[in-house]
Amino acid sequence: MQATAFEQLNETLYHEKLENGLNIYLLPKAGFSKTYAVFTTRYGSIDSHFKVAGGQEVHVPDGIAHFLEHKMFEKEDRDVFQQFSQNGASYNAFTSFNRTAYLFSSTDKVEANLDILLNFVQEPWFSDKSVEKEKGIIGQEIEMYNDNPDWKVYMNLIKALFQEHPVRIEIAGTIESISKITKENLYQCYETFYHPANMMLFVVGPFEPEKMLQVIRDNQGKKTFKPAENIERIFPQEPVPVKEKRIEEKLSVGIPKCYIGFKETKLGQTGTDLLKRELSTKIAMDVLFSSSSETYQKLYEAGIITESFDYDYSSEKDYAYSIVGGDTPDPDKYIESIQQAIQDTINKGVQKEDFERSKRKKIGQFLRSLNSIEFIANQFTNYKFNDIDLFQIVPTLESIKQQDVDQRLREHFNFDQMAVSIVRSAAANKE
Amino acid sequence: MAALVKEIAFETSHVNGMNLHILQTNKFKTTTIVVLIEQELSLQYATKTALLSLMLKRATARFPESKKLREHLDFLYGAVFDADVAKKGERQLLQIFMEVPNEKYLSESSSVEEQAFQFVGDVMARPYLENGVFAEKFLTTEKESLRQRIESVMNDKMRYANQRVTEEMFKGEPYAISVNGKVEDLAGITAQSLTDYYKELISENPIDIFVVGDVDRTRIENYVKTHITPERKAVKKLPVANESKQVQEIREVVERIDVNQAKLNIGARTNTTYKDDDYPAMIVMNGILGGFPHSKLFINVREKASLAYYAVSRLESHKGVLMMMSGIDANNYDKAVTIIKEQVEDMRQGNISETEMNQTKATLNNQFKEILDSSRLMIDFTYNGLLTGKKRELEELINQLNQVTVDDVKRVAAKVQLDTIYLLRDNKGGA
Repeated sequence: MQATAFEQLNETLYHEKLENGLNIYLLPKAGFSKTYAVFTTRYGSIDSHFKVAGGQEVHVPDGIAHFLEHKMFEKEDRDVFQQFSQNGASYNAFTSFNRTAYLFSSTDKVEANLDILLNFVQEPWFSDKSVEKEKGIIGQEIEMYNDNPDWKVYMNLIKALFQEHPVRIEIAGTIESISKITKENLYQCYETFYHPANMMLFVVGPFEPEKMLQVIRDNQGKKTFKPAENIERIFPQEPVPVKEKRIEEKLSVGIPKCYIGFKETKLGQTGTDLLKRELSTKIAMDVLFSSSSETYQKLYEAGIITESFDYDYSSEKDYAYSIVGGDTPDPDKYIESIQQAIQDTINKGVQKEDFERSKRKKIGQFLRSLNSIEFIANQFTNYKFNDIDLFQIVPTLESIKQQDVDQRLREHFNFDQMAVSIVRSAAANKE
Repeated sequence: MAALVKEIAFETSHVNGMNLHILQTNKFKTTTIVVLIEQELSLQYATKTALLSLMLKRATARFPESKKLREHLDFLYGAVFDADVAKKGERQLLQIFMEVPNEKYLSESSSVEEQAFQFVGDVMARPYLENGVFAEKFLTTEKESLRQRIESVMNDKMRYANQRVTEEMFKGEPYAISVNGKVEDLAGITAQSLTDYYKELISENPIDIFVVGDVDRTRIENYVKTHITPERKAVKKLPVANESKQVQEIREVVERIDVNQAKLNIGARTNTTYKDDDYPAMIVMNGILGGFPHSKLFINVREKASLAYYAVSRLESHKGVLMMMSGIDANNYDKAVTIIKEQVEDMRQGNISETEMNQTKATLNNQFKEILDSSRLMIDFTYNGLLTGKKRELEELINQLNQVTVDDVKRVAAKVQLDTIYLLRDNKGGA
């Protein structure tokens, strides 16, 4: 087991790769009450087209990764919810564009809970009957998202930005697409993506790392896995231009929502380069839009943005995009103002004070996020899948120069790569 | 069963006419400051308190421009700062929140800690005034901001349904009042009236300041003494809150708007609050009924009948409210109501298995111990004791939960009175 100490942060991280290929990371946190464990597979809604063992190409129904996540909890001989509850654990699972994660936290019986977690994720059992039953439940989950304007405005923006890339697929699928899911599909996806070599286990909490590792080793030692095969995911070539410049949808909302997005074109980096691109872009966005920026103050004063205003940059190796948005009484005015602000900042360049202030703020934000063991576990895993080390954030931030941010500002905020998404009520000025 | 639990041991002193509670711990990499100002929840004050929270965070005498204020926070390593309102039973709280990194994790030395207290003091005691009253220019924008916040509740249908059922169920009682007040009140609030209200609130209402972090108690007391200096008079005694009311008959309310999924909220009065001896039994009752994925509502509404994605119950222990919530297809309304009522009846009859009881207790143990891992939750737990006059120790409460019997649950379930069945549904289907 390899230990890495981060002295300034007063943290030590342990890593071990088992023979079956599973990567394990352990972060002991003395003084905390609960332990949090997350078991993640590198498999999400974008993995909809791939080659199965034997080389045959398959397209699977939209929403299957999420459906599989639901069905992993069902077993022939036991009820996983009940098992966890018996040990007092809180547990959950989630599916995103590129991963599926299963997790629990508990203050007691941590080792038993860890066994439950590893076992239920590594012992699939699907039946025709239970697959049918789940369609009703997930159908209601989909309807819930259909009524959620935040989700709508976000997903519509992704669909406007991307022409071909499967990131544009709804994570839960549609009622129509999930109706086609069968237990055979589920097994096929499971066999392809749930091999230990495609997964990562992160455990954080008040434990002895050696002892914890032994529990995991013992559990994994009892199981046999086929040799890991190389997973061939097939992604279409994403054209440079956005699919649509503007999408509008009607939903009953008190105030319209408007998101502006930019599709990244500079792709393919991994590791530190990718982290540097992400952090430089985030600093550029801070300079443009943070609550201490001129733009924010002006637009807030003018009532064009509200306290819901936010911005973010999502960064993966093969797709990335920024989003700037929130509630606005006047979407067109909002779009025009944001574009103007970006153009003005590009023209005059990033100012030194703004750059330094944002860097300092990012360091503070990172320290604060380390109070949350849930954040550490999930963010560490997400980064590791892109060969990035979460604990390199501060040194990477320190390495970023003003001209890096200036360059990102010009590179990323290209109006040809921009799309907008609006959600508003059918009746204007309802109530 | 209960392992020894560390107590949440705030040390309390009285400084400048306010209560100061300090918890020294090296668990977190930040220092958290929370100020809670207690007000009765009433039509007379609700909108004003909410508007005041926005005005206080907008500008201070030292930072008369929002941009400068926000820049200062960035400079304090991206300090998190917010002021808003919260509702606990029939109390409205104006809360100020500040979190800064602990200096020992920063590579350069700084006076972040003291500056955080100075800033909180600025916000509370040294607001930005023009000719002795709040600035008209800020008042206009913050009124607009509050209006938008109130109207945007509609964007989140779960929140909207919750607000509506609360309004219907508690008509004529203070608990019906929304924490952000009413749009209709805004026009009548002037810079003068809001300034008068501010002076009254800050000088007379109970104020509690909580500090959590790796801090030195004497130093913190000095910072508070020096920087947080509102003019204080004798502390006002607020009127009695949370009077109970007998339910005459169960009301059904159907509201139609443009939605895909219907929200079914069933509100009940528990006739049991935080200070009562039955409080631990009521928590267990709610846990078995609908608190968790092993609970009756989840199992019967979701897993067995496949009617919903979420089916839960939540307890509000200041007023004494049990809210059962589910997202369903409107056509399944009768079926869902029948199943939910059956589960409540099962609680009254004591149809509770040993497994259900054990799982619920184990999960509650976990949930309460997790409080120790979050500064916000520790503050909240302690404040509940202050607000209700019933100080509870964490370990004692956990022991009480563990001793609850089926008979205790039957007894408290018998006190639960269903009050209002509320359905938010689409415009399409029949009645």
